[in-house]
Amino acid sequence: MSAAPAPIGTPAKQTKRRRLKPWRFMPYVFVAPFFILFLGFGLFPLLFSAYASFFRWELTAGLAGMKWEGLGNYAFVLQLDDLPWSHFFSGEFWSQLYARDFWRALYNTFWLGIVSGLPQHLIAVPLAFFIHTKFRRARNPVIAMYFLPYITNTVAITLVFSSLFSRDFGVINQVLTGLGRLETFGVHPLAWLFPVQNVDWGRPEYTRPIVSFIVWWRFVGWNTVLYLSALQTIPKDLYEAATIDGAGLWQQFRYITVPLLRPMMLLAVTLTIIGNLQLFEEPFILTGGSGGVGQVAETVAMQMYKVGLNDGDFGTASAVAWLMFMVIAALTWLNNRTLGRKD
Amino acid sequence: MKLATTLGLAMLLASATGHASAQTVLTVASFKDLDRSVQAAIPLYRKIHPEVEIKLVALGYGDHHNAMTTALATGANLPDVMGIEIGFVAKFAEGGGVEDLSKPPYNALQYKDKFFRFAVAQATSRGGIFAAMPADIGPGALFYRKDLMDKAGVTEAQLTRSWASFIDAGKALKAKTGAYLIPHAAAIKDIIIRSGLKDGEGIYFDAKGKVLVESPRFVEAFETAKLARAAGIDAKVGAWSNEWSEGFKRGTIASEMMGSWLAGHLKNWIAPDTKGHWRSAGIPGGVSASYGGSFYAIPKGAKNKELAWDFVKFMTTSKEVQIAAFRELDAFPALVEATTDPFVDQPMDFLGGQKARQDWKAIAAKIPATEVDKLDPVAAEVVSAEFDKVLEQDKDVKTALADAKKAIERRVRR
Amino acid sequence: MTASQLTAQPVAKAPATSRRHARLLLRSLKPSGWLPYAIVMLGALIMLAPFYFMFVFATHTNSDILSMPPPLWFGSALVDNIHQLVALRPHFWHSLGLSLWVAVAATGLNLFLCSLGGYAFAMYEFPGRDTLFAGLMATMLLPAFVGMIPFVLLMNEIGWLNSTRALIVPGACSAFGVFMMRQYIGSAVPRELVEAARMDGCGEFGIYWRIVVPLIGPAMGTLGLVTFIGSYNNFVGALLVMSQQEMFTAPLVLRSLQGTGQTPWGAISAGSAITVLPLLILFAVSSRRLIEGLSAGAVKG
Repeated sequence: MSAAPAPIGTPAKQTKRRRLKPWRFMPYVFVAPFFILFLGFGLFPLLFSAYASFFRWELTAGLAGMKWEGLGNYAFVLQLDDLPWSHFFSGEFWSQLYARDFWRALYNTFWLGIVSGLPQHLIAVPLAFFIHTKFRRARNPVIAMYFLPYITNTVAITLVFSSLFSRDFGVINQVLTGLGRLETFGVHPLAWLFPVQNVDWGRPEYTRPIVSFIVWWRFVGWNTVLYLSALQTIPKDLYEAATIDGAGLWQQFRYITVPLLRPMMLLAVTLTIIGNLQLFEEPFILTGGSGGVGQVAETVAMQMYKVGLNDGDFGTASAVAWLMFMVIAALTWLNNRTLGRKD
Repeated sequence: MKLATTLGLAMLLASATGHASAQTVLTVASFKDLDRSVQAAIPLYRKIHPEVEIKLVALGYGDHHNAMTTALATGANLPDVMGIEIGFVAKFAEGGGVEDLSKPPYNALQYKDKFFRFAVAQATSRGGIFAAMPADIGPGALFYRKDLMDKAGVTEAQLTRSWASFIDAGKALKAKTGAYLIPHAAAIKDIIIRSGLKDGEGIYFDAKGKVLVESPRFVEAFETAKLARAAGIDAKVGAWSNEWSEGFKRGTIASEMMGSWLAGHLKNWIAPDTKGHWRSAGIPGGVSASYGGSFYAIPKGAKNKELAWDFVKFMTTSKEVQIAAFRELDAFPALVEATTDPFVDQPMDFLGGQKARQDWKAIAAKIPATEVDKLDPVAAEVVSAEFDKVLEQDKDVKTALADAKKAIERRVRR
Repeated sequence: MTASQLTAQPVAKAPATSRRHARLLLRSLKPSGWLPYAIVMLGALIMLAPFYFMFVFATHTNSDILSMPPPLWFGSALVDNIHQLVALRPHFWHSLGLSLWVAVAATGLNLFLCSLGGYAFAMYEFPGRDTLFAGLMATMLLPAFVGMIPFVLLMNEIGWLNSTRALIVPGACSAFGVFMMRQYIGSAVPRELVEAARMDGCGEFGIYWRIVVPLIGPAMGTLGLVTFIGSYNNFVGALLVMSQQEMFTAPLVLRSLQGTGQTPWGAISAGSAITVLPLLILFAVSSRRLIEGLSAGAVKG
């Protein structure tokens, strides 16, 4: 954003020279509420958790139960001991690393984050564009339907999803096997694509895809709405001019829409990164807290929860949180460099 | 009860002395379904103490224990009486945030012999802190469909004699009726792990905190369960899942091993139409184990500790209240005296007229007073994870147990 | 679909309508014409399905819901379910009211404070601006879970436990809101307009109130909706802060009905359906404003 030069001459109505020019201090006044609230309510928890990460603290013992541990919690989380460092590039190293809770959770979190996050945006942008241009009258209902998943809360939805994904009785399997068993003239034309036996969604290889699907389901509409509201700010005459110049719809999308959506993309992708790296609810509820067989769907946030509340080790949980903070910060900075622009 | 009467009289006198005495409020925090026990107890208590208002706060199992953990950690929002389930009682006990009931003014050890032995042990931490009064227990039983067994020519003796005969019975059942014997092989694993324990022994940890998962009973547990899976007698459904309850409803799963309270669930909502076909038996191999169990504790930061203790005693040592809970939600009383009530001798329609409560009483008396460790849930989780790998990925049992030991030590190393 | 569709749009209705309809009809028969629509509608159905089932479950009894296969169409047990819900949790309606109040208050505060902050970051140059903004962004990065315990400690110290203040005030100006507003205001409000207003002697706050606010309708709508939803559906905050059953918010009440075994799914589904209604209404209303804002944008060009 280019600098806004302060008005040079002061109109006669303006105040005397000695008074502080309003536009110099008002911005501070405007951003103050956020920082006051943060200082009041956000800072203490932050500092406390950083403080706590250096202690061992069994929660049920109350505040008196905190014992100094130093960097021990961090070492415990990272568990970088006993690794075959000399074989850094071999599968052996990585599979042993994967056996360590934190690294496995990190891998899961990234896996889930990318597999659910990428489609969220890849689909949301063209979808928003499509709805924006094509669905003049039906726009409201269509957007509403896509946005609904974001509104629901997990209590009711868990029940529904577990019912839908039930191996023997779920609707999803019924539809899929119905399509797979579809017979015309004695042949099963769709059998190569759809299963003929009920899919056991409980199997560990399906756990991650299902969680990703549910997260995607929840947020694709949200991203679409974000992009749709950003599309409003793109002036129509740009498109008109492009049309006159003979540009097709796809080209207009690629050369007008996408570049101008960058600010919103920055916001939306940042949110996705932050949100996905902190993913907790969907995998937690779907796997009943266990993370699935082999903990394939256990995210870092779930692990934090487990270590803090179940293992009774809040200090370690705080250490995990701060480690994640660094990861998220790094990624957000990266994202900013890629998508953000000083214009 | 004398204390209660004296207190009650004192309070009545106090309120009768003229000044508008406000109702004393007692806060009880509980989880579903224990809250129903509390609700059954409240009207009975109010008959004796009408001046006490009891506020019950109920949350889901997970939310409740999280809220309680947070409350204990911060000292804020603590209830006067805290309902705790078996999975958390050791943790809360060792944390030291709840009153040690063995000390004055509670002196609860005088009641120790009124309860089933193991229940008290479960509520006592390693350091000897008696942290909570037992409210209900879940003596483990084998519930099976007699009609299906008859069709397959399987007798109860066959089922319970040994694990080998149990598995053979399962094969016969499958062959003759197509039904699975059990929902999941993990149930077998869980039981055998608890077999052969004596008073004072821990399941996963010994008194010094050493991890016990490589001991023979674990090996046997894993091996036997693996055999069961190989024999095709388990339906591979998780407990409480949709397929699980449907399996009972439709008769595709013929038995389950759980606490005695399962009978109530089966009757009320899982498979009410199968009334009369079920029977209760002892667990194969003669194992006596307990499933679940609830307790009441008093936080150190509670406001009305005296009154809280009175209410807790009322709920746990009063025969009337324990029987009320038993009737209401099939919560088997922890109080031995309550099991002398004629209610226990009544035939149960759902179980075809069997007087199963007597059987459960006998089982409860035999359950050993094992040591509980606050890290038991952690160990259980790790062992389950390794067990899944043995079943699903054909992992070698000894390796799995060795990995489990390493993993537990790692997580618990401190 | 050719680009001529685009040019046809902003021009108002009357003359070309019938021809447009005819063209649409013809075009609708080509696969390249209707395939994208079909895919979008299929997607919408996937979005809708679990939601739909939630409402269907709300009208069935427990045993029906748990039966396999589950019911596909509405039943008649809605009133019974609601009765059961209220019997189990008599203060459900009060909790619903609490949720609404907290959400409204949080949303109102956020809309005001975040747009103010976003405006400042977008339109002003002041020393430390970028650092402050980076700091703001950084606050979003820490997983909220760890702040749980110290948050309760804090609330206990200032005596805000068991009150709605604890749910409203701390989140009254979200970093996300400021971020979003900054992005939007930066691209939707022309600097020249702000400059001109300043030259005309409009005070800083006046510029905000009279120039910026009217221009950011769509963003306000979106932020308002999102804040409302987030606050309304949040149960962790209420779980930590409220220890008295009468102060529970609606999601917490619904969760409190869950346990293994005899869970009253009918009542929970009915409760969830009722709880989600205000959100649906709000969305219906605010999306209309979004459309209004959009038409204004279209004309403005």
